[in-house]
Amino acid sequence: MGSILSLPWFDFTVSGVVIGSIYALMAVGLALIFGVANLINFAHGAVFTVGAYVGWVCAVALGLPLWATVPLVALGGGLVGAGIEYIAIRPLNRQSRIAPLLATIGVGLILDQIVHILFGANPRALPVPMPGWRVSVGQGSIGPIDITIFVTAVIAAAALYAFLFRTRLGMAVRATAQDEDAAKQMGVNIHAVNMAVFAIAGALGAIAGLLVGIYYNAIDPNTSFQIMLKGMVAIVIGGMANVPGAIGGGVILGLIESYGIALFGASYRNLFAFAVLLLMLLVKPNGLFAKGREREAEPMTGTFVIQSMPVRPPGWLLALGVAAAALVPLAGQPYLTQVMTNAFLYALAAISLTLIAGTVGLVSIGHAALLAIGAYASALLTIAGLPVALGLVAAAAITALLGTALAYPAFRLRGHYVAIGTLAIGEIVSLVILNWTSLTNGSMGVFGIPPLTLFGVDFFSTNPSYWLVLGLVVVFALLQTRLLSSHLGRTWRAIREDTVAAETYGVGSNYYKGLAYGFAGFTAGLAGAVTAHQFSYINFDTFNLLTSVLILTIVILGGLGNVTGAIVAAVLVAGLPEMFRVLAEYRMLFYGAALLLLIRFRPRGLLGSG
Amino acid sequence: MTPSLTRRGLAGLALGLALGGALPALAQSSGEPVMIGVSGPLTGPQAQYGALWKQGFDLALERINAEGGIDGRPLEYTFEDSQNDPRQTIAIAQKFISDPAIVVEVGDFSSTASMAASPLYQRGGLVQFGFTNSHPDFTKTGDYMWSSSISQSQEQQVMADYAVDRLGLRRIAVLHLNTDWGTTAKNIFVEEAKKRGAEVVAAEGYLPDEKDFRATLTRIKASDPDGLLLESYYSDGALLVRQIREVGIDLPIVAVGSVYSPDFLSLAGDAANGVHTTAYFTPVSPRPEVQAFIKDFTAEYGQEPNNFNAMAYDTMNILAEVMRRHGTTREEIKAGLGEISGVPSVLFPEVSFDPETRRVMGLEPTELIVKDGAFQLFQP
Repeated sequence: MGSILSLPWFDFTVSGVVIGSIYALMAVGLALIFGVANLINFAHGAVFTVGAYVGWVCAVALGLPLWATVPLVALGGGLVGAGIEYIAIRPLNRQSRIAPLLATIGVGLILDQIVHILFGANPRALPVPMPGWRVSVGQGSIGPIDITIFVTAVIAAAALYAFLFRTRLGMAVRATAQDEDAAKQMGVNIHAVNMAVFAIAGALGAIAGLLVGIYYNAIDPNTSFQIMLKGMVAIVIGGMANVPGAIGGGVILGLIESYGIALFGASYRNLFAFAVLLLMLLVKPNGLFAKGREREAEPMTGTFVIQSMPVRPPGWLLALGVAAAALVPLAGQPYLTQVMTNAFLYALAAISLTLIAGTVGLVSIGHAALLAIGAYASALLTIAGLPVALGLVAAAAITALLGTALAYPAFRLRGHYVAIGTLAIGEIVSLVILNWTSLTNGSMGVFGIPPLTLFGVDFFSTNPSYWLVLGLVVVFALLQTRLLSSHLGRTWRAIREDTVAAETYGVGSNYYKGLAYGFAGFTAGLAGAVTAHQFSYINFDTFNLLTSVLILTIVILGGLGNVTGAIVAAVLVAGLPEMFRVLAEYRMLFYGAALLLLIRFRPRGLLGSG
Repeated sequence: MTPSLTRRGLAGLALGLALGGALPALAQSSGEPVMIGVSGPLTGPQAQYGALWKQGFDLALERINAEGGIDGRPLEYTFEDSQNDPRQTIAIAQKFISDPAIVVEVGDFSSTASMAASPLYQRGGLVQFGFTNSHPDFTKTGDYMWSSSISQSQEQQVMADYAVDRLGLRRIAVLHLNTDWGTTAKNIFVEEAKKRGAEVVAAEGYLPDEKDFRATLTRIKASDPDGLLLESYYSDGALLVRQIREVGIDLPIVAVGSVYSPDFLSLAGDAANGVHTTAYFTPVSPRPEVQAFIKDFTAEYGQEPNNFNAMAYDTMNILAEVMRRHGTTREEIKAGLGEISGVPSVLFPEVSFDPETRRVMGLEPTELIVKDGAFQLFQP
């Protein structure tokens, strides 16, 4: 105990408040948007990055003074914010909650990529002359920029609070948030209100980007997602739509991270952030500062599956498709075969996600975690001496069990809370892999995973491994289609359409959700395990958040719940960018635009949702 | 430009020409190009390194081809974007292996991404030449994996010599990137420091996308070290040294050679002063190859080259030399790498490879310190 008490707690507190005010500044904008649009704006991180680069252009390239840079940055951020509303939010007005959330992920990818293309990936210095004084606090010191960040966050929150509760436009904003239709009838121009809110939040996010860039004297186009995630955790702590609460949430998150580092070390930082996120979602989804249950949980289970007739290709066409796919290696192009193997591995993962996201209605942004569990399980077991065939099956079974257990807390979440919760679970899995060094070899990764040989037969050469993966896709697609036409499929769809009604009829929804997760976990675990044996080397980052987003894009493209669609979409998404390798730099742009356009114009996917 | 520098430049040029062997002086290359396949990141989080590679490659090829290429054939490369992602490096590997025009493969950037493709290159019989792969296991997949990257056991011995023997540090706190590279570096350093009688009192890992280190540094400070060692790249290294000074740590800092970059200085600002590091490539080196490279690079791109530029530049020159002396088929290149010796390069005075480990030999690190915002020779 003595050693714990003797730690410099005061200095840890200062560190926590300094980083916490950066989180708070991000959180204020996110909370404002959540309050009005009832949506987590995943593009907010990209606005932050845009702000940093507009600041760089003004302050460094053009040599403008700070007093001229700040308004220009705010203007730039405001325009981008308004643009996000116009492109990604307004057209999706009548769709379910999850649609605009995914659209903002798409916009975020596009904005990040544009910044990347314009300015390159190299971090840039952002030297802005600041007063040279520093105040000694504890053993360290804080400078004018630390104070500016904190004060900006507080002033912004106070000003927004006053705006929301003391002005007529603010009243219109709150009315829109409460009941859009009623507000419209009272003569509120809800589009203008929404756009104004996104513009304000955009300006704030951009200024945050500038200030944080000055603070670190470094800006780079890859910070968006991390900083957005931290802002998101902060608003979950502070209460999703609670603007002043966002400040508290940010500072609390900063303190939790700082104390966590004090006790356990630096590599546990994000683990704490996401564990807190998950805990808050489960225990106090309305935030620490909520008086009671202010906001009613959404009535929908949270899909945006609109009834549609899925395209059902005739059996002979499917058989023909499989036969054609089986002949691919005969073209004598190993590169093409390898690309198709990758595509079918994605297809296997997409089949499993389409079951839980489409059929059961748990839209997951953490699906890569299942792949990672399967990959590590098979890798570690086979290195320990198990034959590869047994390793694959064991890995799939382990993933089914572990995946279901991990996702179990998310079963009671609804709507976009499912998306956030699964995202947190995905990150937690990856961070546990990173930190559980004795089991997973930590950041060193697992090297020397045995190649695919099943019962002494070589499956690691290009062609056999292709046929193996294709075979798995066909088997699991057939199996899943069979399940969906049984009473199980009907029950799953009933839970998706109306969980409350289903439970009234005596359907134990958690049990059936668990069954779906178990089956999906088995498939995804197998996909991850095969991938691990193919790579021969995996680490905690092999299956990351981007993998999750990609699999989700595939599933939406194919039509949520549509097995055939998932396979076709996987071939398109994993195959198309390979064909446009010349446009390599624009590949992420392609993913972002595809996601955005799909949700906008074909929310039911190519083949319709089932 | 001083006359002495010009003479050095000329000497470098003359040396380069002499090594060109029987080639006719300044003959333009023509005919079927000799093709190198490069697998590296052009997009994604590591895209900046792909861009740095390209600068180095292009500069080297310009010179090589102006001197007649490979026995009259121009040397060229095709760059496939892998995003430093193992899924894509294995697809690219299939592409290169099945393309008979590709005689040798270069890359990928990280050991993770490269090693995923290694079994394919090994089976396909195409040399995978990694010049940024310091992972000790990189060349262990098979005899087609070669590397001109200084292995981490070599590098960390140099760091331990510097921190413990030269600077006299006895209680060292290590901050390292929590990646395969950073963790390997940390582990080897801890052993090497122990051998030299010093103790590592704290070791903290951080993720590449982390920006805030104040709490970590507070923890470091509580361990009461007498010096800090950074196993960092230049961008996170710069963030670290700024915050080290902000939390009031005023101890000697030794950073691994990968911080050696002009960007480290601009990102870290005044906080960089007093930071120790080592370099194999440094403009203060009087060797003619180095001076010629810096002069050409600055003329071409209007900025000073960094370590990654130099490594990319060397890679093309080493491979060109192997091809000139031993031939341009895949097997001749593999055999040639094991036999070649005495190639002068920017990083190393004389390049040769250990045929057992397939790693570069002949290191000669230079000890540096940042003074007045510039890297200078360290003279205690």
